[in-house]
Amino acid sequence: MGELRYEISQDAYIKLVLHAQKHKAAAVNGVLIGRVSPRNDDVVEVTDSVPLFHSHLGLLPNLEISLILIEEHYSAQGLFIVGYFHANERYDDAELNGVAKNIGDHICRYFPQAAVLLLDSKKLEALPKKIDQRPVMQLYIRDASKNWKLVGSDSGSRLVTKEPAANTLLLDYITTEKWQGIVDFNDHLDDLSKDWLNPELFK
Amino acid sequence: MVTKTDETQLNRLENQVDNGGGGAWEYLCLVKKLKVRRPEKVLKHGLSILNDPKKRSSLGPDEWTLYEQVSIAAMDCQCLDVAKDCIKVLQKKFPESKRVGRLEAILLEAKGLWAEAEKAYSGLLEDNPLDQVLHKRRVSIAKAQGDYSGAIDLLNKYLEIFMADHDAWRELAEIYISLQMYKQAAFCYEELILSQPTVPLHHLAYADVLYTLGGLENLQTAKKYYASTIDLTGGKNTRALFGLCLCTSAIAQLTKGRNKEDKEGPELQSLAAAALEKDYKQRAPGKLPLLASALRSLKIS
Repeated sequence: MGELRYEISQDAYIKLVLHAQKHKAAAVNGVLIGRVSPRNDDVVEVTDSVPLFHSHLGLLPNLEISLILIEEHYSAQGLFIVGYFHANERYDDAELNGVAKNIGDHICRYFPQAAVLLLDSKKLEALPKKIDQRPVMQLYIRDASKNWKLVGSDSGSRLVTKEPAANTLLLDYITTEKWQGIVDFNDHLDDLSKDWLNPELFK
Repeated sequence: MVTKTDETQLNRLENQVDNGGGGAWEYLCLVKKLKVRRPEKVLKHGLSILNDPKKRSSLGPDEWTLYEQVSIAAMDCQCLDVAKDCIKVLQKKFPESKRVGRLEAILLEAKGLWAEAEKAYSGLLEDNPLDQVLHKRRVSIAKAQGDYSGAIDLLNKYLEIFMADHDAWRELAEIYISLQMYKQAAFCYEELILSQPTVPLHHLAYADVLYTLGGLENLQTAKKYYASTIDLTGGKNTRALFGLCLCTSAIAQLTKGRNKEDKEGPELQSLAAAALEKDYKQRAPGKLPLLASALRSLKIS
């Protein structure tokens, strides 16, 4: 078996970064939805994402409920929770903390090839000055001893966006403040009529 | 902590001002009163008043508080030049002011000059040892540098003196939670519940922490606090309703095979489930089937 690669769709990718933009002063997280590629066992396709929380990320009850509901919804489409996204509260914090690792571990129990993506604030900030096609996220994978390891600073081809121009679109959305419309699970629990699937976001 | 009614009112006003319908001063006052963080809006609308001499003079003495409010919003948005200009105006008007001195120190923070900011605060604290804002700014400096144990230390010392500061207790609890120090977080919420027993959010947060800690006793207590949250909010709190279902399910898992006396009745969970179904039917009917199967997976045979 070769090295695992992760291909994330534009919509899934942008949704997660926009969520982080909406709550700049907080840590946020989300889950990655997808499946192993039917054409290539070494590729995990991330086709969608669900923004979860922007406060109290370290508490279980809301996480458990969100995972149950999300799994129920996507399994009907043959999709699974294939990873976890985390954005730290502070700009210069590039560490994967305990909460992120624990949630990553939990997801691995159901999908062993799960990955953890950590927002790279510095890469994101540098985007407007010099457009780069690489995702503004760091990729973490579990090694044989079940520790989360950063996949080379030039994870290069192991984490890619399916559509090469994803970052250009992302920058555009950030300028037009598209993140105002993002709904996460926190928002849904506060107001059930808000839809965590964000169906209208990219229309 | 803002109530739903307050938040709706604030958003309505914000929309109004954003779309040119006036009410900027009203909006700014409400933001200040509710202590919410909306720096981009405060900056935009605050400056529109301050840059208009007529509007500015119509504020009378409130003009100076607006300069203060806008300077802080500017720092939050990293518009440090705007912040500096506002502070200069205030310095001119109030030359020996400690309040302006505080703003200058916050500007040092905004620039990331931690050592200088810390020095400034220590200096100011010598003359004003009981200034709560100054103490709390020192906690922010620690937090901003990622020194969580330092922040915890400072907060604990602060709370020994100012033990009625609920915001500080909540901040401490949140730091503990982010570090997965759940027992310590629980202690903070216990303090909050003792001093503000009718605030449902404290009960809810406490229940969430206890559930996260796990273990039969904690789950049983968590269940009680989800129940009290439901009681205090007239059954309207979705998180508490879900929490109750989760607790019942987890407790049942742990007490499988025990005596009947140890087991709990299913009534509470059924009531909570029914309330959730009713709410979803009304506000998110498309998600009702999802809810139903989620609740099914939580029921134990």
